[in-house]
Amino acid sequence: MAELLNIVLFLPLAGMLAIALLPAGRDALVRQLSLAVMVVQFVLTVVLYVNFDGSVAGLQFESRVPWIPGWGVYYQIGLDGMNVLLVLLTAFLGPLVVAGAFSAITKDVKLFYAMVFFIQFAMMGTFVAQDLFLFYVFWETMLIPMFLIIGIWGGERRIYATLKFVLYTAFGSILMLAALIYLVWTLQSTTGVVSFAFADLYQVRLPLPAQTLLLGAFALSFAIKVPMFPLHTWLPDAHVEAPTAGSVILAGVLLKMGTYGFLKLGFPLFPDATREFTPLLMGLSVISIVVGACLALVQTDIKKIIAYSSISHLGYVMLGLLSLDLIGIQGAIIQMVSHGLTAAGLFLMVGMIYERCHTRDIAHYGGLAKILPVYSVFFMILTLAAIGLPTTSGFTGEFLVLLGAFNAAWPIYQAGDAFPLTMAVGAVTGVVLGAMYMLWLAQRLLFGGTKAPHLPITDLNRRESSILAILVVAVFWLGLFPQEPMRKTELAARQYQQMVAGTPAGSKAAIGVAAPESIAARGSTR
Amino acid sequence: MNWQAVLTSMLPEHLLLAGIVLLIVLDLVSDRPRGALAVAFVAVAAAAVAALTLALDGYMAAPFAGQFSVNPPTLIAKAIVLALVLPVLLLSRDDFADLRFHLLLLSSLYGVCLMLSADSFLTLFLGLELMSLPVYVLVLFAFQRPDSPEAALKYLVLGGAATATFLMGVSLLYGGTGSLALTAFGRALGSSNAMAQAAVVLIVVAFFLKAAIVPFHAWAPDAYEGASVPVTAYMATVIKAGVLLAAARLFATTPVGRPMADMLAILPLASMIWGNLAAIKQTSFRRMIAYSSIAHAGYLFFAFLGAGAGRLQAVLFYLLAYGVMNLLAFASLPRNGDDVAGDRITSLKGLYGRRPFAALMLGLSMLSLAGIPPLPGFVAKFLIFKNVIAAGYTVYAVLGLVASYLGIYFYLRVIQYAFMGEAAAETGPQRRLALSASVICLVPAMLLAVFPGWFIERL
Repeated sequence: MAELLNIVLFLPLAGMLAIALLPAGRDALVRQLSLAVMVVQFVLTVVLYVNFDGSVAGLQFESRVPWIPGWGVYYQIGLDGMNVLLVLLTAFLGPLVVAGAFSAITKDVKLFYAMVFFIQFAMMGTFVAQDLFLFYVFWETMLIPMFLIIGIWGGERRIYATLKFVLYTAFGSILMLAALIYLVWTLQSTTGVVSFAFADLYQVRLPLPAQTLLLGAFALSFAIKVPMFPLHTWLPDAHVEAPTAGSVILAGVLLKMGTYGFLKLGFPLFPDATREFTPLLMGLSVISIVVGACLALVQTDIKKIIAYSSISHLGYVMLGLLSLDLIGIQGAIIQMVSHGLTAAGLFLMVGMIYERCHTRDIAHYGGLAKILPVYSVFFMILTLAAIGLPTTSGFTGEFLVLLGAFNAAWPIYQAGDAFPLTMAVGAVTGVVLGAMYMLWLAQRLLFGGTKAPHLPITDLNRRESSILAILVVAVFWLGLFPQEPMRKTELAARQYQQMVAGTPAGSKAAIGVAAPESIAARGSTR
Repeated sequence: MNWQAVLTSMLPEHLLLAGIVLLIVLDLVSDRPRGALAVAFVAVAAAAVAALTLALDGYMAAPFAGQFSVNPPTLIAKAIVLALVLPVLLLSRDDFADLRFHLLLLSSLYGVCLMLSADSFLTLFLGLELMSLPVYVLVLFAFQRPDSPEAALKYLVLGGAATATFLMGVSLLYGGTGSLALTAFGRALGSSNAMAQAAVVLIVVAFFLKAAIVPFHAWAPDAYEGASVPVTAYMATVIKAGVLLAAARLFATTPVGRPMADMLAILPLASMIWGNLAAIKQTSFRRMIAYSSIAHAGYLFFAFLGAGAGRLQAVLFYLLAYGVMNLLAFASLPRNGDDVAGDRITSLKGLYGRRPFAALMLGLSMLSLAGIPPLPGFVAKFLIFKNVIAAGYTVYAVLGLVASYLGIYFYLRVIQYAFMGEAAAETGPQRRLALSASVICLVPAMLLAVFPGWFIERL
């Protein structure tokens, strides 16, 4: 079975080569071939997901081959509870991205799909990598296709946006590179083990000052990708200028790299520093939630609203991870997937209306419900999912995160520290603001007097409505049956909790022990 | 004298010499000699194969004791340098029809080979001069450009300054230690004697001059811009490789103490920063590559901060990755890159639309030079910074990495022009043998990217 994960990983690369070898001018063939490869990848990933056993600790479908033996670098990939859902999400969005771009991309079609495959390969690799060197290689590789996707097929200010995106993210990565070399060197000089494997690096316990510096370097890189306030300014530009497919990839998967990085590496590698800086990170998460929502509220560009809402929604993920409460952590993982689905869907829908009317200014639209009924139904469902209506995926994610945050905050509050509770309450205001900007957007777009840049507009065609229907099914699946994915991630969430909180499993016990420590830490810094 | 050893150990040099002699004969017997490219190509290829074969045999010899010796690492270094010249030769097809170019190139290459095997400062000096003198003439060969003579003169004067500095350092070293062996340098490095230290500083400065390290870099942008494409490619890759490998031979495995280490870190660091920053505002492609090579020389000198055993490996791997990718970039340039207008970076606009393969190759080489994985430039940089951190110079490593970040922008700008710009006016056609040159570079580049471990184990 281990080969299956390798096939899933390298299939996009094979697709890229196949496309490159096709003769020029066969655009239709390129599109069909791309879709076929992506669908196969998704089917195989579903097989992986179904066969993934949530009750077994450790890696499944693992491959481990020496890559740079002298440095202890292995090509080591595998699935665990942390990445299994994200791998599924990535494979799920692949065909939708490809199909969604059929009509939008008419220039350099070959190069475009080659780049989509390239980024699919890099994203998949980042999630499944279990070796820090390999992880970093995939992590940085993602920049190349995204740079081209935004820069070639983007909007008017695409060059500015894409350079900003790359320069922002590369700055974080370069410090992470220094940190990871230092970390591996420390492992080697203290234990004699030459290894980049996550499992070995988890064993390194550095003194607090070193941990703080290294966490700072890793966190900068991840926080830029999430993005967390105040490092978010690249995101609106990148989203607005990117072609629809680029936005979908960016919001659907790429942003999760940041939160996944925290979950898999940042926090577990440097637990002491994480606990030390939990208040700061938590504060930034809540600021991201609120500021992202407030900024979304005042935008006039539909795409910008969705872009800022991403900042807000990923703040919940961070909050869940930082709560160190089992429910909160699981909620964070669900929220990552949920945001991947809803944001991808909304960006696709913005792209669909933009293809028809060539503007994204809300002021040009109104009353679309009457002229575009199918479009409006889908838009409404995704809107409600984004604001977390029960039965949709958004509800599962946000509710669990908030529950976790309150769970964790309450005992600390009783012990005399109101900060985590304040943060949890602050996060709730984000839910209210989220409902405001999304519903207001839906109201202005769909209801009221009919208004559009030009009439008539055709409603969604079969291809477009199938894409959205598939997404909506996934949204409801995660909203109605979250037990199944949660079972698969529970053990991993426990492990994460254990590594960061430094206590045996068990939600309450974890808080009980972790809390006094963090209070003491906070007391001493005051 | 053991003639057998002389014959075998200097086989690469002999093959180069045979090529040189053949070229001279060709010039004598024919008015319009043809086949110079083929002769030069075969000679260099044979020399590279010979060096590699000897290295794989584990051949070791010192035919001229104390002056010249070979061992497998040296031979591998020679093989790499010689192999890097093959694409340069293919590029030269469009710029140089007569054989003077090939003659001078092979002579210079002979100097590089000599340098890599030098055991004493005499041989080293001989190699260094033999390497440099033909290049001064080669820079002058780009007649299309009005500024070539100025560039050549500037290069000559600063090259002469480097030579003088080098000789001064060597004579001080000789005065202090009574020896001209390269090992004397290692002893002087660890000594606290003022004369020995002055000698070390002078010799290192001479190498900094030759490798274009800030503040001794001023000749490079002019020389690179004034020369023709193949010559620029030769200077950026092979000359740099020769100088750095000679430096690696000099430093060998001697640990570098604190005051010297700071000099070895700060000036290269300044090169990285200044090279990357100054490259941003260049409008000429070759001038930009010159500043890029100034920055890369900085990374390369960082290798000497690392522990002794890993130095040669790090330098070799870096030079291989850097050389291959740089040559790939030169191979992608249109043929009229020599006139001032054709050398503008903006003339690359819309390259993807006109010649997709060349644009992709150019893109790959820029990303690799920027050190973005999964391209070979990343592993090369990683290897160097890993060694620097392992040696305890974490602050320098972090500063160096941040400096390398500064370089990303101007490399990306080239990709931006090639892929994202509207097509500029039609530039000249593709260089005639550029495709073969690209393939010669692309294959090792891909291998370096996918199997870096295989190379690292063997270097």
